[in-house]
Amino acid sequence: MAEIVIENAVKKFGKFTAIDNVSLTVHEHEFLVLLGPSGCGKTTLLRAIAGLGMLDSGRIIIGGKDVTYLAPRERGISMVFQNYAIFPHMKVFDNIAFGLKMQKAPKAQIQERVENAAKLLHIETMLDRFPSQMSGGQRQRIAVARAIAVESGIVLMDEPLSNLDALLRLEMRAELKTLLKRLGVTTIYVTHDQIEAMSMGDRIAVMRNGKVLQLDQPTKVYDLPVDQFVGGFIGTPPMNFLHGHVHQNGAGYVVRLGDFSLTPPQDVHPALAQQRDKPVIIGIRAECMEPMKTASPDAVPVTIDVVEPLGAQNLLTARIGQDTIKVSTHPDFTVSAGETIWLRFPENKVRYMDADTGRALAAETEKALA
Amino acid sequence: MRRAKWTPYLLLVPSLFYLALFFLYPMTQAFGLAFSRETQTLSLRAEPVESAATTGALELQTEVVVLDRQQLDETLPNGGTRPSFWYLIQGTDLAGETVEGWASQRSIFIENRRTSETARVTGGEATREWTFEHVNRMLTDFRFSSAISTTLLLMVLIIPAQFVLAIIMALVLQSQVRGSSMFLYIYAIPLGISDLVAGILWFAIFTQRGFLNSLMVSAGLIDLPFIFIRAENISWMISIIVLAEIWRATSIVMIIVVSGLQAIPKDYLEAGEVFGASMWQRLRHIILPLLKPSLQVALILRTILAFQVFAVVIAITGGDILTVLSNETFRWYDPARFNNPSVAAVYAGFIMIVSLAISLFYMRAVRSQDEATKSAT
Amino acid sequence: MSAETFSNAPVSVAQAQAWDAQRRRARIQLRLRRAGVYVVAVALAVWILLPIWLIANMAFSTPQDVRAFPKSFFPNPISLESISFFLNAQGIIPSTGNSIFVAIVTVVLSTILAVPAGYAIARYVFRGRDAIRLVMLSVRAFPIVVLAVPLAVIFLQLGIFDQPFTLALMHTALTLPTTILVISSVFASVPFEFEEAAQVFGCTPLQAFFQVVLPLALPGIAASAILTFVLSWNEVFAAILLTLSNRTLPAHILYNLDKSSDPFKFASAFVMLVPSLIFIFFIRRYLFNMWGQINK
Repeated sequence: MAEIVIENAVKKFGKFTAIDNVSLTVHEHEFLVLLGPSGCGKTTLLRAIAGLGMLDSGRIIIGGKDVTYLAPRERGISMVFQNYAIFPHMKVFDNIAFGLKMQKAPKAQIQERVENAAKLLHIETMLDRFPSQMSGGQRQRIAVARAIAVESGIVLMDEPLSNLDALLRLEMRAELKTLLKRLGVTTIYVTHDQIEAMSMGDRIAVMRNGKVLQLDQPTKVYDLPVDQFVGGFIGTPPMNFLHGHVHQNGAGYVVRLGDFSLTPPQDVHPALAQQRDKPVIIGIRAECMEPMKTASPDAVPVTIDVVEPLGAQNLLTARIGQDTIKVSTHPDFTVSAGETIWLRFPENKVRYMDADTGRALAAETEKALA
Repeated sequence: MRRAKWTPYLLLVPSLFYLALFFLYPMTQAFGLAFSRETQTLSLRAEPVESAATTGALELQTEVVVLDRQQLDETLPNGGTRPSFWYLIQGTDLAGETVEGWASQRSIFIENRRTSETARVTGGEATREWTFEHVNRMLTDFRFSSAISTTLLLMVLIIPAQFVLAIIMALVLQSQVRGSSMFLYIYAIPLGISDLVAGILWFAIFTQRGFLNSLMVSAGLIDLPFIFIRAENISWMISIIVLAEIWRATSIVMIIVVSGLQAIPKDYLEAGEVFGASMWQRLRHIILPLLKPSLQVALILRTILAFQVFAVVIAITGGDILTVLSNETFRWYDPARFNNPSVAAVYAGFIMIVSLAISLFYMRAVRSQDEATKSAT
Repeated sequence: MSAETFSNAPVSVAQAQAWDAQRRRARIQLRLRRAGVYVVAVALAVWILLPIWLIANMAFSTPQDVRAFPKSFFPNPISLESISFFLNAQGIIPSTGNSIFVAIVTVVLSTILAVPAGYAIARYVFRGRDAIRLVMLSVRAFPIVVLAVPLAVIFLQLGIFDQPFTLALMHTALTLPTTILVISSVFASVPFEFEEAAQVFGCTPLQAFFQVVLPLALPGIAASAILTFVLSWNEVFAAILLTLSNRTLPAHILYNLDKSSDPFKFASAFVMLVPSLIFIFFIRRYLFNMWGQINK
């Protein structure tokens, strides 16, 4: 059993609340990513789970055992540190064996597990060397090998790839993911890189100001952000936010964007009803719009400011009323600045948000799911 | 960082010149003092002229018989002349042989230039003679071996205790107790205290009418004050010096250890914690190995300083019953006592060689240990 | 969905109490450990401070109380008699004057020499830089005893023996390596960009040094000067060898120690101690600058 349950965790540093009443469950074998901007409390939360800093209140339960007040070594976890924390005075072998040695494991077992871990990370030829002669990527591998060698079933990772260069990061990302899945390790992975989070996590917990805003599968977090912050934080470019107005239209509701009317799907109407005659935020991702060169009654005209040809796509920056909108188009869609194009908003890709709180006007079905 | 051809050298020259002047020059002088003796002897001439061949040499103050005299006219730089006397003298030289030859009036003292039958050698040329005489004097001095053994004993007793204490202090400071900056200041206070003051401080505690006896007598533990500092209680005297030196000189080790600790990334200790190391295991497997360079520096520094322990010994024991190498150096130099700078220089050289040797030994030991671990497998 | 959605249903009272008990136990354990560390910290502080207290106590007691047995651990009455007895003793005022003179000359000389040298080591890349650093590091631990004897003989031959000025020359030699290293670390901590910026905006290198670098480095240089002062003020071996009738304070006291009474000794220790206490207080922030960079 390697399930991690966090209940009502609170951690304060003086007046600053680093973790603000967080509760979440990490299932066994799950790869959970804690994602958020710096200072959002994700690292503090990870360190609290590791036992490197005690919670002010709340509980942490690992594998059914309340570990809230236990020392790190009594919690049955292992960890990969941001700067690797590979001991410079020990050889690679001894670094990987460190956890086992501290547990006073039998020699044969240490030998076997270290070799296995090293093989999994393709560093078996370096066991006799000192880490001072190693590159960042190799140190990273040692750190991971050390974490899996103890076979604790739980690995905590604190921005482990942030110190690698871009190419290496891409390579390690895939390798880590397959490795940890194969070993069936429960992983909590802290990062501020949303692409890393999307690509690696079974689920992502998006954090801000010490709170978990959304905890869901990557695609859900991407497609159905709970609020403006999550939508803006995840995705490159971030979600577009346009200012609209709710109007009653017979029995239903429409959202007006200048002269143009959007018809939201039926299940959002109850939420829209409460916003009647009020401003509302329209969220739509850059790649979700259908750009056209000719006018159409179901499309809104926009004026192009900038065209950025990015190879796989053309990224257009356009003006729509007071708002700026980013549109990602097929590279063959050739336009130039100053031209007008028409955008079609597919109804199921539009997300409506409360203009005051930024919170999504969730459909009834979504609420039921939560 | 800048690159320039001459500027840095120009900036460094005054300091380097000064250091050379005050380190290298005295060192060569010390060498000369230690291994040579300067004597003045008067060379006797076969003829009454400076350039004539020598017939022998007489030491200063030798009494001589005047056999003959001759008055010459000496030419002065301005062209004039003045009378100058040369004497044929006879005396016993250092080897005990009787020698005779001519000497000018400038080199001897004679009562009456024309009539006196005897005279005394008062001038001559300095000659430097290499000798192990001073080294022998040091080696055969009855205080030498006790000075060495006391110095070494103090070193062996003081240094390990200092390191343990300094590491404890550093760990306490590192654990961020409330007011740790105040504690740091307090622990650092002895940095500014001279060994003389430290000696007097601990003398005040352990002297016959001192604080320790005051406390014990007031508490009724003993009836009469115990005399710690007397010839029969050598081990007590050593202990008091050890206490005073631990008290005074641990700060420097503490500062070095603390800055070494600060250089250890917190990650390492946290990784140790996460991977199951207890506090003791973290100290043994992570902190101490990473502190090794700092500890090595501190060890060399403390060892060299241990050979210079001086005023604290005098302040506590008076410097006669118990003596150390630097005290002997001073005793031999002191114009009021032995007044023999040469033997003092031998002592000084001895201190330098021993401290250099021990430092090199430490460095070698640490390096070979590193190499052994690096090439073992 | 909101953060609250993640909270569980309100916990039962019993459970909350159980958690509280657990938390309390853990806090007590933590506090006990902190208290343990604190006890050690205070014990070590007492170990350092107690002798200083006792000597201060003696210095402010009457000479009768100093000679008394058993001694009191508090001055009663507080009296300046011992200190004034000490200060009025023969040779104390002139030797204190000598000490201050020697220390000040040492500070001035070694700072003047060390500022350019320290700057060169901190700012320039040149052949022999590492060698020079190494020489400074090893020379700073050079035994005073070794130099004092030949220097005394040299000064005697040159006819400048027994003058405080020559002792200051010697002290400068002893402190110079340390001063150079400290000052170079002070300069190294002033970003080079400041200097470059000053030059871009029209300073000559020399102007940039005096207008930008020096003001920023001044506190560190002052700290190093204080350290030099303390080293010179405390030094006794060279002082006792190089002077005879113009002794410095510690040399004078040490030489006459066996003839001194207890009130005199204790008052002298206190008087010599006070400047060091004050100076170390002022430079406490720089202690690591001075000794910390040894291992690099």
